[in-house]
Amino acid sequence: MHLIFKIIGVTLLMLPQLVFSQSQEFIFENEEMESRFYALTNEIRCPKCTSGSIASSNAPIAEDLKRKVYEQILSGKTNDEIKAYIVDRYGEFADYRPSFDSWNLFLWLGPGFFLLIFGYLFFRQQN
Amino acid sequence: MQLIKISSLILLSIFFVFLGGIILDGNESESVISGKPFPVFQQKTLDGKDISNKYFSDKTVLVNIWASWCITCLVEHPFLESLAEDINIVGVNYKDDPKNASDWLTKHGNFFTVNIHDPQGNLAIDLGVTGAPESFLVVNGKIVSHIIGEMNQRKWEQHFAPNL
Repeated sequence: MHLIFKIIGVTLLMLPQLVFSQSQEFIFENEEMESRFYALTNEIRCPKCTSGSIASSNAPIAEDLKRKVYEQILSGKTNDEIKAYIVDRYGEFADYRPSFDSWNLFLWLGPGFFLLIFGYLFFRQQN
Repeated sequence: MQLIKISSLILLSIFFVFLGGIILDGNESESVISGKPFPVFQQKTLDGKDISNKYFSDKTVLVNIWASWCITCLVEHPFLESLAEDINIVGVNYKDDPKNASDWLTKHGNFFTVNIHDPQGNLAIDLGVTGAPESFLVVNGKIVSHIIGEMNQRKWEQHFAPNL
């Protein structure tokens, strides 16, 4: 009985590896490029999925975009240039870390703004 | 009391913003690619001829992303065929085997003016495509409309016909 549980446990632990092994294999010249690849693919949203980054998706378009990110890293593009390439085609929707500009000002400052209002009203009520 | 009223109003506003996001169909929201020039590309057609973005510079065409493995493409095929009487339809054969694509066209009918072969999906990515089918209205080299999913009478009348 214990053996069955052990087999199930090991299989569950290996699931992410099995899923990952179905994806494309990316070979990098150095660790810096590799860490940039993982950081970028985690910050780019899969345009076909309800939610989730291209790193976490096996959708065909996510695989294609991972390949594009990989090719662009190898060709010497900066992170900003790669993000701009994706946003230009799929919009700000595809960027999990939207830029801090006038267009996204509310997105960045909105939560703080609401917190200040609620805090002010709360303390006024208390006094 | 005032705090509860204002808080409720703010929370209700946030709720409606999220509700709007859920109700509005993302597939039919304004595409970021609309208004931009057709991407620069240089590829082969399904029958092996060279084609580039210059092809679109002086025409009004409907560009349709399709593949022989795509079931929805088969569903929209009869409607596109009816449109082909009035507008040139250029196909982008997306991530497909050229033999399967040619067989599919022979079996279901080929009304495409030309078919661009895009085996890696590179042109499709430059068009902001997320899968097949998708359609674009291109007027004199500029993308004016884009829809994701099946093209039908309602989408044609709502998104494409007004821009002709």
